[in-house]
Amino acid sequence: MKASSAKYLVGQGFKGIWKNKMMTFASFCILLVSLLMVGISCLTAISLTRVIGGIEDQSEIVVIVKDGASDSDMAALEEKLHSIPNVNTVSLYTKEEAWQNMLKGMTEEEKDFFQYADDNPLPDTYKLTVKDIQIMNDTTTQIETFDFVESTQSPTAFADILINIRRIFSIVAFAVVLALVVVSLIIISNTTRASVFARRKEINIMKYVGATNSFIRIPFFIEGMIVGVAAAGCALLLTKFAYEGVYNIFNDTFGIWSILGMQNLYSFDDLLLPVSVSYLVAGALIGAVGTSISTGKHLRV
Amino acid sequence: MVEFKDVSVTYSSSGVDALNNVNLKINDGDFAFVVGPSGAGKSTLIKLVLKEIDATSGTVLVNGFNLKKLRRGKIPALRRTIGVVFQDFRLIPTMTVYENVAFVLRVIDAPAKYIRSRVPYVISLVGLSKKAKCYPTELSGGEQQRVALARALVNDPKLIIADEPTGNIDPELSYEIVELLKGINECGTTILMVTHEHDLVRYFGGRIININKGSIAFDEVIGGSNESK
Repeated sequence: MKASSAKYLVGQGFKGIWKNKMMTFASFCILLVSLLMVGISCLTAISLTRVIGGIEDQSEIVVIVKDGASDSDMAALEEKLHSIPNVNTVSLYTKEEAWQNMLKGMTEEEKDFFQYADDNPLPDTYKLTVKDIQIMNDTTTQIETFDFVESTQSPTAFADILINIRRIFSIVAFAVVLALVVVSLIIISNTTRASVFARRKEINIMKYVGATNSFIRIPFFIEGMIVGVAAAGCALLLTKFAYEGVYNIFNDTFGIWSILGMQNLYSFDDLLLPVSVSYLVAGALIGAVGTSISTGKHLRV
Repeated sequence: MVEFKDVSVTYSSSGVDALNNVNLKINDGDFAFVVGPSGAGKSTLIKLVLKEIDATSGTVLVNGFNLKKLRRGKIPALRRTIGVVFQDFRLIPTMTVYENVAFVLRVIDAPAKYIRSRVPYVISLVGLSKKAKCYPTELSGGEQQRVALARALVNDPKLIIADEPTGNIDPELSYEIVELLKGINECGTTILMVTHEHDLVRYFGGRIININKGSIAFDEVIGGSNESK
């Protein structure tokens, strides 16, 4: 193909947008709404998974050390705790730290009462975070068999709730996103088909004067791609505003939402690159491929 | 050159025999009227020449292409040797007169310089130089048909098929269109014109192919009444 022909075909793609304004606008709107629906659903799923993950990460096992354990006993225990595959971090909370923290929370009268205590009654403890909350119960049981372990405290009931929430949420999110993708593809396919159908005579004439299928398809392909990219750009902007609005709400009242782990939400800047690429690739592909597939039906003349 | 050898067409969907064992030869430079009642097989004949459909049996040769052996990918090459004029003009409404005509040359990847010189020339041949920038909707029926003629002519095809070219225009303009086709024919282009208008055929005369019930009922050269004037 000559450069002049390529230039002509690309030009026709751009002209087609203007000449078929109404159908182009319809395709643009449908594509925009579809991208927004799928995009926002995916972002919601990603954010909620992140929030649940954040809560899971904060779930700790508290290991209470037996009174009278020497420094070497403590070191040996700490080493054993580190060697458990599911343990992520191990931090020592000494009885002195615990005592000082307890005193900080007391009234002056309570402090006066405790200042005559002979000895610090609190134990040394280890706080452990785990890699996989689903096997937290097994990990706790294993730790209880170690020497110098008085007892353990772990939120296993809460962990079970989180695991169930995550499982149900994953299934629901997958089903919702899948349904939206399918619905969007059907709507987009019908819109592009209607758009191409409105121009079937034009395609028919092109065939009669000896145009090859690729010569006919290229302008439609370019037109579809431009509409797809434009819809993706708008979807990206709208998603940014919507996401940042929600993100700011959670940040403004940080105290309340932090209970639910909302401080773990990704900022939009963290998501900008993957979201932009996903929108642009999806928009351009759906627009271009959808339009040229719809064109195919009318090429059999 | 168009040649039909024992060509039959049966539409599988309806079971209708549209053409029965047709033998026909139209030589290069001929001008032939194809006449016959509705449903006689005229449109089927045109569809075969354009390879819009395939013959059920027999051989169709068009401008050196054996259509039975022609692969789908080569159909554009066949169609580039044929100019087509339709009853309903079939101009692209979003293109100007110039663009409608130039489009054919763009399809065959003609150089831009050639397009710039050839298109105005052909538009002037059909007398529409002043309307080159108009859109089809801004033209009368006769003018639109002249644009369609210019489009059929612009890539200098060996054969022009005119399918009821006067069906949608005023009777007086019909003569003008056929005159234009005759003029093109005098330059060596083969013309195959399908028509219902017996007055036109009687007026111009020439080779008349009458199709009836899928067979050629009559294929003769007759003198036109215009010749006696």
